[in-house]
Amino acid sequence: MAARPGGGGRVRFNVGGQAFETTTTTLANAGRDSMLGALLDSSWNAPQAPGPGEPEAAAATEYFIDRNPACFAVLLDLLRTGSLHVPPHLPEKLLYREALYYGLLDHVRAARWGAFDGDRLRLASSVPGRAPGDGTAIRASPDGGCCVAHGGAVHVYNWMLDERRPISLDHSQVNDVAYLDAATILIAARERLGKCDGGMAAFSAVSGDLRHRFRVAHGSEPKSFTAGALAFDAHGAPRIFASCKGRLNEYGVGVWDAATGEQADFFYEPPGVALGDADRLQWLDATGALMVATLFPKTDNCSIGLLDFRGKGVAWSWSDAGTAASLEDKRVLHAIAMDDERSVCVINQYDDLGFLDLRSAAGSGGVRWSSRSKLMNRKATGEESCYPKLATHGGQLFSSMNDSVSVFSGPDHVLTSTLRRSYGGAICDFSIGGDRLFALHNEENVFDVWETPPPPII
Amino acid sequence: MSSQKKRPARIEPFRHKVETDPKFFEKSWKKLHDAIREIYNHNASGLSFEELYRTAYNMVLYKHGPALYENLIKTMMEHLQEMRRSIEAAQGGLFLEELQRKWDDHNKALQMIRDVLMYMDRTYIPSSKKTAVFDLGLELWRDTIVRSAKIHGRLLDTLLDLIHSERMGDVINRSLMRSTTKMLMDLGSSVYQDDFERPFLEVSASFYSGESQQFIECCACGEYLKKAQRRLDEEAERVSQYMDAKTDEKITAVVVKETLTNHMQRLFLMENSGLVSMLVEDKYEDLTMMYNLFRRVPDGHSTIKSIMTSHVKETGKSLVTDPERMKDPVDFVQRLLNEKDKYDNIISTSFANDKGFQNALNSSFEYFINLNNRSPEFISLYVDDKLRKGMKDANEEDVETILDKVMMLFRYLQEKDLFEKYYKQHLAKRLLSGRAASDDSERSMLVKLKTECGYQFTSKLEGMFTDLKTSQDTTQGFYAANPSDTGDAPLISVQILTTGSWPTQPCGTCNLPPEVLAVSEKFRAYYLGTHNGRRLTWQTNMGSADIKVTFGNGSKHELNVSTYQMCVLMLFNTADCLTYRDIEQATAIPPVDLKRCLQSLALVKGKNVLRKEPMSRDISADDSFYVNDKFTSKLFKVKIGTVAVQKESEPEKMETRHRVEEDRKPQIEAAIVRIMKARRVLDHNSIVTEVTKQLQPRFLPNPVVIKKRLESLIEREFLERDKADRKMYRYLA
Repeated sequence: MAARPGGGGRVRFNVGGQAFETTTTTLANAGRDSMLGALLDSSWNAPQAPGPGEPEAAAATEYFIDRNPACFAVLLDLLRTGSLHVPPHLPEKLLYREALYYGLLDHVRAARWGAFDGDRLRLASSVPGRAPGDGTAIRASPDGGCCVAHGGAVHVYNWMLDERRPISLDHSQVNDVAYLDAATILIAARERLGKCDGGMAAFSAVSGDLRHRFRVAHGSEPKSFTAGALAFDAHGAPRIFASCKGRLNEYGVGVWDAATGEQADFFYEPPGVALGDADRLQWLDATGALMVATLFPKTDNCSIGLLDFRGKGVAWSWSDAGTAASLEDKRVLHAIAMDDERSVCVINQYDDLGFLDLRSAAGSGGVRWSSRSKLMNRKATGEESCYPKLATHGGQLFSSMNDSVSVFSGPDHVLTSTLRRSYGGAICDFSIGGDRLFALHNEENVFDVWETPPPPII
Repeated sequence: MSSQKKRPARIEPFRHKVETDPKFFEKSWKKLHDAIREIYNHNASGLSFEELYRTAYNMVLYKHGPALYENLIKTMMEHLQEMRRSIEAAQGGLFLEELQRKWDDHNKALQMIRDVLMYMDRTYIPSSKKTAVFDLGLELWRDTIVRSAKIHGRLLDTLLDLIHSERMGDVINRSLMRSTTKMLMDLGSSVYQDDFERPFLEVSASFYSGESQQFIECCACGEYLKKAQRRLDEEAERVSQYMDAKTDEKITAVVVKETLTNHMQRLFLMENSGLVSMLVEDKYEDLTMMYNLFRRVPDGHSTIKSIMTSHVKETGKSLVTDPERMKDPVDFVQRLLNEKDKYDNIISTSFANDKGFQNALNSSFEYFINLNNRSPEFISLYVDDKLRKGMKDANEEDVETILDKVMMLFRYLQEKDLFEKYYKQHLAKRLLSGRAASDDSERSMLVKLKTECGYQFTSKLEGMFTDLKTSQDTTQGFYAANPSDTGDAPLISVQILTTGSWPTQPCGTCNLPPEVLAVSEKFRAYYLGTHNGRRLTWQTNMGSADIKVTFGNGSKHELNVSTYQMCVLMLFNTADCLTYRDIEQATAIPPVDLKRCLQSLALVKGKNVLRKEPMSRDISADDSFYVNDKFTSKLFKVKIGTVAVQKESEPEKMETRHRVEEDRKPQIEAAIVRIMKARRVLDHNSIVTEVTKQLQPRFLPNPVVIKKRLESLIEREFLERDKADRKMYRYLA
């Protein structure tokens, strides 16, 4: 970077009439791929032959930039200190726009909130929804944005929580959504009777354009289908999994190559195991297997299994068939494989957590329930409730119940934090990603954004 | 709608007039267009980056992104076309330089254009799935310049020509080559591969195919390999200098295929310089090169291995079956050892101690050593030779290494029990005649045999050593118990040998002279008195004696003779002339031994203490013997050897073999019984395999013999044949 103007590594700016002076070292933090980096690059500052009678010292110019000086001050401060401080009178959107002009939006994003920690979360924003009806699912994007599925459409928000173009798959009922990466969203939708729609498709998260429609063929004959839960294996040759229901009892789990979008495999449902109706799929990296959970109320008997695609078999399975006799019994409503892939965590209608040991053969140990009677009492007062959901992140376990999200830490999963907001009703879904937690409320379609503040100065 | 007569009440939206300047796009684009021209003309110093960036920003902001992108392509194309014309016009050697110069210009300009359009790169391009500006510039360069009709072929030809002339020894501008291939790599690995690497490999293949054909016609194998090695090094160096590192592997494969793989057989089998003559002449350097080069060739090492193996087998076979060599067992074994040393050296210096080669060498030695069924005997004789007299000129360490080498040969033997037999005989001779030079070496050999074959193999040999030790003690005890008898009576030293441990031959006892007989009877009484329930048999054929003689001419000598010879000579104390028949009668020595004994006393020049009438070479029953009064010798002590052959005579050999065969029978039977006891029921073939496996460390049993033993066991009702399946045997408890 050329340090000629100003001399001594000092650089002078005139931004919208206001003078700034800084050093090349500070500006180096912006990186070469930013407007400021290019501005000071030697290719744009080739030595000018001094005109006749014009002494070279007078060439010590300042850079003029025709932009908002207040925002420039904030961004220059960001480059100097690495932390973002926005004065109260300065709208965030304005700052974001200016940051985009200078190519510093990524810097702002990185300084805006800190690394995710379930015990230090703070409510950053509540975004009201406009869609009618109940929300189905909310998913966090790897870059801090999110998308919310309502009925037949999916509303997409970037990390600045600006809404982008909503996407839909022929306006069919959306069963599940997932981010393939920050720029691509997968939608699994229900097939409507008499129409060859539904199925699964990938959309651009930025423009909302349809990118690819995933097909299922049985015996090389393409068939329409209803896609249920989605899962993604990002390692090796990336693969996409979805539970599928075909019209002619072609139930099972479809597998697609994420690079080409072509169908790679289809795991047909073995008798007695419900795969096509599965509520939850999760790829277990270390084990190399797919967890498939079919849960109440879709079926009366919950079943969880691990599918081994190389051996084409069920490597491990558990079912509560025969144990749940009455409605009072504990029913598994959601399941998640823990990070160490040694156990599956489940939750029941009383918000009890339970664990299934994946290492013991065929789940013979049964569910080890950890009773939380204290929490159960609150349950009685709730007017309308949603089914609880589970998530894990960085060794912490999260579960939603009614209008709050509980955070459990440590090897014994001790309750360490509770996230609650006063209105919006029960939480019907939540998701963690991009160092943020998004919680979708049952009423009014409002969703909350929880994030960890940047680390304290000292 | 507006054409309708009756217009319903309608609220017109308030129209904002936001498009302030209708010429906004044209004006802005002109600014950028001019700037791009200046950039390509190296005249960018007058441009204001901030102004250009802001202009591009505004164009994207006001939705002119698509038009901006299209115009950018158009403008860039124009500049590239201009560059193309100038590159095409470059003559001869300037072509590459011009291409390089323009590429540098384009790269620099592209960098600046990208700076100006950075905002478009960030916002418009990701949402419209277009190629980013920099990559777009590379693609345009690729399609307009590198792959244009007039440049594409010329570029490739120029590069390949330069490489060819470098191969022929010319010096070329490597940095220019490097920057040109770097350009191709920058355009994407597929451009580099399609437009340069693949044709380069093809041209190289035909070049090396021709060159190797030419070399192989006129070069010896070693020389050819040197050239191939140099070419390989050159290509590796070339790649490191101005090509993608990934090409290294590919071009090496091409050179290896053309120069080595395609000519492998011919190179190895080359007359006078191929693999065999390298082995014969110990050309370590060439062999090392061959080993290293053919590491890259599939089947290369295995072919070298098989040629070496067949050569070793052939030379080994001619060595062990040469009747000339049989005459000197020590030399025979020494030659084997030399052969082994030679190939061990080759493998360690040239073949990187490759385990595969070592195994191949071992198996070929095993093959040819066992071609001669006298190998066990010869090896034992060699050890005998080394342990007997080798000590004088060799120190113990040398003997140790010799013994280690011998053990190597021993490992190759299939008939290890035969070796044991011979070794026992030779050891017995050494021990009894007191000619074992070093007790330590003897014991170290025993330890080696023990580690190789186990305790059983050497237990009897060890017994021999113990016998000697106790004999010494017993003799001392005898004289301590009978101290009075030291006067005139002969001194005896008795070796008490345990039956079974020693290779005793059934011997005809002879009549000992009365003086000796008296002492030996006294000893017998003493021994049986101390050890109850034992039996002593005199092995007169194995003893020796020192006797003092005064000849008729007055000369006095001390003679070292065998027991038989002593018996004969003692007879002459009382008689002057004895016929053969007399001697035979008096001594009762078996005729064969007696004849041999008389031969050595009467017919060996310089040691003829007896005189025979008539003076013929052979001894007949009517010959008469006298004391040779004219006997003279420079030495006081005279050792009378026995006319004996070190090597076994033909009948003895047959006998040893027969004995070995006999000894094997119980071993085979024991093995069969062991196996059957464990398995209860087994078919014939499995028994043969198992027995062979069990006995392998000692010898290789013949299947026919195994079958005979099985039959014998059936006869003795250890086994029976299965009634349903005649091939199955059943163990009878």
